[in-house]
Formats: sequence, structure tokens, C-alpha cells
Amino acid sequence: MLKYIIKRLFQGIFVVIGISILIFIISRVVPGDPARMALGPRAPQFAVDELRKEMNLDKPLPVQYYYWFKGVIKGDFGKSLNTKRPVITDVKEFLPATLELALLSGFLFIIFATIIGLLSAQYRDTWVDGLTRILSYVGIAIPSFVVAVLLLLIFGYLWPVIPTLGRLSSNITPPPTITGLITVDSLITGNFAAFFDALKHLILPAIALAIGPLFQEARILRSALIDNINKEYISVVTGYGLPKGVIMRKHLLKPSFIPVVSVMGLDFASLMGNAFLVESIFNWPGLSRYGINAMLNKDLNAISAVIIIYGVIFLIVNIIVDLIIAWLDPRIRLGGE
Amino acid sequence: MKKRPFKRATVLLLVSILVVSLALSGCGQNSSQNSSNQGQQNAAANEKIIRVTVSGTPNIDPAVGQDYGSCTALANIYDTLVFPQNDGTLKPMLAEKWDVSSDNLTYTFYLRKGVKFHNGDELTADDVVFSMKRLLTIGEGFAYLFTDVVKDVTAADTYTVKFTLNKPFAPFVETLVRLYILNKDQVTQNIKQNGQYGDMGDYGREWLITHDAGSGPYTVKELQQQAYLYAVRFDDYWGGWDKDAPDAFKLIDSTEGATVRTLMNNRELEITDQWQTTENINAMSKIPGVSIATIFSGTILNVMLNTKKAPTDDVNFRKALAYAFDYDSIVKLFPGSVKAKGPVPHDVPGNAADLMQYTYDIEKAKEYLQKSKYADKLDQYPVEVLTNSDVPDLEKIALSMQANAEKIGIKVNIVKAPWISIVDMMSKVDSTPNACIIFVAPHYNEAGSILESRYHSKSTGTWEQGEWLQSKEIDNMIEDALSTVDKNERFEKYKKIQEVLVDLCPTIWVLDQAERRAYQSDYMYWPGAELAKQGKPVTSVMGYNFYFHDFKIYPEKMKK
Repeated sequence: MLKYIIKRLFQGIFVVIGISILIFIISRVVPGDPARMALGPRAPQFAVDELRKEMNLDKPLPVQYYYWFKGVIKGDFGKSLNTKRPVITDVKEFLPATLELALLSGFLFIIFATIIGLLSAQYRDTWVDGLTRILSYVGIAIPSFVVAVLLLLIFGYLWPVIPTLGRLSSNITPPPTITGLITVDSLITGNFAAFFDALKHLILPAIALAIGPLFQEARILRSALIDNINKEYISVVTGYGLPKGVIMRKHLLKPSFIPVVSVMGLDFASLMGNAFLVESIFNWPGLSRYGINAMLNKDLNAISAVIIIYGVIFLIVNIIVDLIIAWLDPRIRLGGE
Repeated sequence: MKKRPFKRATVLLLVSILVVSLALSGCGQNSSQNSSNQGQQNAAANEKIIRVTVSGTPNIDPAVGQDYGSCTALANIYDTLVFPQNDGTLKPMLAEKWDVSSDNLTYTFYLRKGVKFHNGDELTADDVVFSMKRLLTIGEGFAYLFTDVVKDVTAADTYTVKFTLNKPFAPFVETLVRLYILNKDQVTQNIKQNGQYGDMGDYGREWLITHDAGSGPYTVKELQQQAYLYAVRFDDYWGGWDKDAPDAFKLIDSTEGATVRTLMNNRELEITDQWQTTENINAMSKIPGVSIATIFSGTILNVMLNTKKAPTDDVNFRKALAYAFDYDSIVKLFPGSVKAKGPVPHDVPGNAADLMQYTYDIEKAKEYLQKSKYADKLDQYPVEVLTNSDVPDLEKIALSMQANAEKIGIKVNIVKAPWISIVDMMSKVDSTPNACIIFVAPHYNEAGSILESRYHSKSTGTWEQGEWLQSKEIDNMIEDALSTVDKNERFEKYKKIQEVLVDLCPTIWVLDQAERRAYQSDYMYWPGAELAKQGKPVTSVMGYNFYFHDFKIYPEKMKK
């Protein structure tokens, strides 16, 4: 197992280097001089030249990449043209916000996808199944930002019971930054007012992000359950008189989760990248919104940093998914073990 | 019979969903009495605060910030030597008075005594010198206003500062509304060594991203990137305070329609940004206590015609396009706006009111087209019209141009591109399309600013000039006007330039844009909005219309 993880991480290094080269080239060949964009049309040429020099834009592309990569190894992603501060400072501030949102969203879609999937399978071809099917179609078809706007209008405009903006109310003292996740930091420091307030702020954006994956996974789980429940081994173990709970956990749910976990992993990683509109609507200061602003302003260092960070997260989530699948299905031998 | 071996598990999971739901909904009950949404409203009701949505987190370094949000923040956090008034004139601010040498090259400003910075230090001439030198050295933000103009700046004594210019530049005092005065000692104490500015390290740039060193009516309390800038009132402000003036202001980084509308409805926002759609503005106008402010901001919408590219290199062809343009229909797309009367918006001092007007007249368009050298080969010379793909209303203009041009036989091809591509396309004459539809605003409140940035050769290659006019005659006229100190004479010269431009027709001047913002009129007094309502002029110097010191707020009048 350890050998497999090390091997995957080692392979991952090359993937990340590949991503970095690709995004480095793409971000630099698209039109527009980033230095001029950052300083405006009337900025004196000396200021533009200085900025270009500072960003090594006056050097050939391979040399630019060398300097940039050297910095990244030391944890220095360069300076953001937009926020005018080191990109790593921005990342430290915005990544926890997106992670916190993604984690709650992931938690929601895992729990509710399981429940809905189980109910649909159990009450197959009844009104329950029909209802969840319709809800699933709607949930999958509606983009998360539309759900976000609807939630905002319902819970912010028509029935304002939940905060709709930012991560914390202005009258709540934020906890000191330990992990950057306000809910976690407030629990660590015993600041329960901040914890509940932060949780309330998380609800709407987390639901908006969770709806799509939730129904998709529920449908997959339903199919897998129905598929497995009719298999002979279930009849055999039932015939042996195994308790229903054991049949459920060990023989039915476990194998049925294999396809769902793969999709959950992908959904979790991609919702972080797709969160930008939801973050914009709820004024959530997250990394996805930061990334989109960086792209609109041709903030080269910020673009590269965000994509690499998402690449690394994608990689880690995939490794975790592989490990979970191997645990769920012992026939799968990791890395040919 | 169906197998249902997982009934118990389902029940367990249903219990868990209940627990999760209770946990989520329960947190609303558990939090302290003032942390609910209603609590936020109550908190707002007790706090005399003005909240405005802006596009992007304000950049509060006076040598860097130059967008709308940044200008609004800087106008409230820092003081300037002079202050722009709504009638287009200037009033003394930090400078009690000033005089100009006979050669118009030396400006001497006499500073107000006893002005305190936010940390209690007194503001002196050294701070003014430091602020100008810092701005010129960094070269960002509004430095371009001074780079070619200011030769030297010195402190003659504690309260007297002298600016020496390279050449006479008549609107120099007007440009000083962009010289925000920093506390030299405070910035110096917060310099990060090993920066790019030699002995001055990073010139305090990193510190000034989240802190201020100003003497303005408000001082920065908190700046959260991608979220907001929160500033509170400086009690020792030299200008004093009205009892109903706001205690704080917050610039919220969001222009999302649904978000803004919700905030307005919940009284969690006092003024919206100017980027809201007409539909959203109309919807917000129906919220009780909310009014719509329509204020001209010196912004003009242009169709820039590339004078170095066929067929728009022909003056008659350009005039044909100008006469084939349906101005009235387009103005209706931008409620509150008015048809442009020439190169300079009507609310910018120095605009010529009685210029010849191009109107929608197909017959005249045909007449000019016949005089054009391309009259017989129109099929070989389609006109390429560029619009910003991020602004759907601009595409409507292009479509209108296309339909009307077709009536006189001109084929129009519409090209849509994002802003970064537009900037790149306009950097070279060959890649600049025949027509570019772009909004432009003056850099300081005088016609000279817009004439220079739009038609002087030095602005070719930037998105501010898609005309590529490159006329020595126009350049000389602009330079001559800008160096003419006598205001009447200077304005007369501006008028002549505008007449020449109208005759050359390098641009279709479409409309003078009015900013439309929803605001809470039942519990807030906004001087600019009130003036606009009465049809009186409002300053078009970006940011100064939001000088919160002069606002009044009455939280007790807030309707729930």
C-alpha cells in the first residue's frame, strides 16, 4: 500500500510538471501584454518595462519558465498583478475558503446521494423512485450557479433567514487563523458563535455546489444496488441466513459503492474548479473566484498557481479514491501487488 | 416479491439525514442573538454605515489604485491639495492657496496648518514632496498625469511646497486631485528592505495594500481581498463632522445582480455599483425606499474609426457611416444617457456646445458615400466592427450599425472579442479593426484630458485611440491648448480642436453615458444624487461623487 502511494506521488510529480509547462505556455501565448494590462494604457513605458523585467517577461520563454519553476520549488509563485502581493499569500488566504466550502459540499453529497440512492433502489418503480428520478434530472440539468441564484433569492430575498454574503457576519469576531477553515479554527479556539455563524454562511453555497453531484451519484448508486441485489451471491448469503445488516453492509452496499466512489472523487475535485460562479454570487473569497479574476486580468503568476494547486488536489483525491476502491473491492490489487 | 434487505440501514440513514438537517438548521438558533441575518440588519440599523458594491477589491495604495473602487476609497482615506467641486471648479483643500510664476513653470502651494494624519502626525510640505516623488518613482496609478509634466518638487518651508514643471501645463492644478498625500514618516517606518526602489526598499507598497497613511475623513479598518474594504471615521479630521455623517463605509467587492438585489432588499447595501443591468435596476427601483440615481460621469461611448485602414481611411466614407448611424435608437438602450454632441462629453468643462451634429440621415449618408473613393467597390471593402463580448449591449450597437450600413450598400462584419484581446488588437494599426465600440472617460475633469488621451499621437497603440489619427496638426493644437494658462483662451482652443475633429469625423460619437445606481433614499442623503435629481451638474472626477464625509445617514428611518 505504502509502496503504491509513493509510486503514485512520484508519478504525480511528473504530471504536475507537465501541467505547469502546459499552463505556463498557454497563459503566455494568449493575446495581451500582462504588464500593460496591469498598469493601464497611460502608464509610463519605464513602469511597464520594469514590471516586465520583474516578471522576467523580457526573457525567452524557456528562461522565464526556469526562473518561475525555481521560485515555485521554494514556494514562491511570484507576485499577483491583481492584488499586488505574493501569490502564495493569496493562495493561503483563499484556498481554505474554497476547501471549507468543498468539504461541506462533499459531505452533503456523500450523505444525501447515499440516502437517495438507497431509497430509489429500495422503492424501485414506485412513486419514491419516480420522484427521485425527476429530482435527479432537474438536479443534474440545472447548473450550480442557477441553484445558487435561486437559493439566494429564496433565502436572501423572499425569506431572509440565512446569511447570503461572505464567510462570517461583520459583528462576529473571527477566530485566529490556524487552518484557515473558519469552522475548524473556531472550534479549536472554542469560539462557538463564530462556528455557528460560519456554518450558516456555508449552507447555501455548499448546497448549490452539492445538488448536481448529489443526484448524479444517487442515480449511479441506485443502478449499482439494483444490479447487485439480483446477483446470485446475494441469494446465497441470504440463504445461509446471514443477518440482513451484514448482507447490507458487507455484500451489497460495499460493492455497489465502487462506481459511486470513483465519480464522487471526480466530482469533489471538479467542484472546486467549478465553484467560481457560486463563489461570486455568495461573495465567497475563494480560490476559484481568484483564479477566474486572474484569467480575466491575465495575472500570469496567479493563473499558474491556481491551476497547479487544483492539479495537485485532483491528484491527491484520485489517489484517495483508488485506495478506497481497493478497500471496497479486495480483488483490485494496487500497483500490481 | 421484492427483496428489501436494507430497510434498517435506510432507517438509520434517514435518522442521520435528520441529524444533519437539525444540525444545519439548529445552528441558526444556537448562534448568539445578534448573529442571525436579522441581527445583521439590526447591527446595520445601529451603525451609521454606507455600503457600496464595487467591481474588484479597491487598491488603496495612492501610487497604484486607479479604478472606480480604488478612486472612491482614496478620495475618502487621503486628502489632496485641491478638491473637485460639482460645478467643475476646484476648491482649496490641504492647500489654502496657491500661486503660479510668470513663466507658468512654478506652482507654489501654501498648506493648511494643523492637519493631522490618522496616526496623529502633522501634515507638512515634506509629506507632499514625498508623495509626489513616490508616485513618480513607482510610475503606476495616476503617475502618468505627472511623469512628463513635473520636473521637480521641493519643500520651501514646513508649509510651502513648490512644483517645477518641464513645460507649461495649464490643467496642472486639476490633475492634483490625483495626488493623494501620504504620511512620509509612517510609510518610511513600514518600508520592506531589499525592494526594487534602492534605499526606499519597496517604498511601503506591501504595507499600503492593507493599511493607510492618510489624513482623510476615514481610516482603513480592514481590507479583505475579494471581499471588502471597511473604513471608519477619523474623529480628529480637520474638516470636522456633521452629526448625521456616516461613521463608516464599506466597499463590497461584488457586482453579481442577484447578490446586489438581495442586499438592497435586505437594507444591507446603500448604493449599488454602476454595472447593474437595466432590468435589475428597474427591479430594485420597486423596493420601497429605494431610488435610482442617474448621474453623468464624463464617460462617452465612441465608435472609433481606424483612419489608417481601408475603407475607413476615407473621410467621406467615415461621414457616410456617421450619417447612417441611428443615434436615437441606441441612446434608448442606455436609459438616462443622452446623444453625444461631439468628442468631449457635455458634462466635462471645455466641451463645445454648438458643434455641427451628425444625425441619422440615410440620404446624406448616400451622398457622402458617393464622394468616397470606395463608392464603386463596396463589396471589396467590408467594414469590420469590434465589440466587447463581455458587454452584450455593445453588440446591439454593432447589429444596428450593420442593419443601417446595409441600407447604403456597406457590408459590416461584426467581431466579438474579450477585453484582453481587444487591448492586444488595438496595439497595432493593422490589427485594429475599422470600427471599435468603446467607452472612454477623461483622466481629469477638463476637455484637454479627453482630447489628449483620444486624439494625440502618443495614445495610439492603446485602447483609448482606435482612430490612429497621428495628425501633427492635431497634436500641435492639443499641446498648444494644454500649455495655455488663460482658461478662456484655453477653452477656445479646445473648441477649435473639437471643430476640426468633427470635420475629420474619425469617430462616431454615440452617447454621453449616465451611470445608474440604485440607492436607499429613505434613510440616506447622497449630495450627488440630489443634485442630479435637480438637473444640476455633479463632479465627473471618478470617486469624488462618493465623498462620504458629506453624506448623511439616518438609520432610524430605515424601513424593514
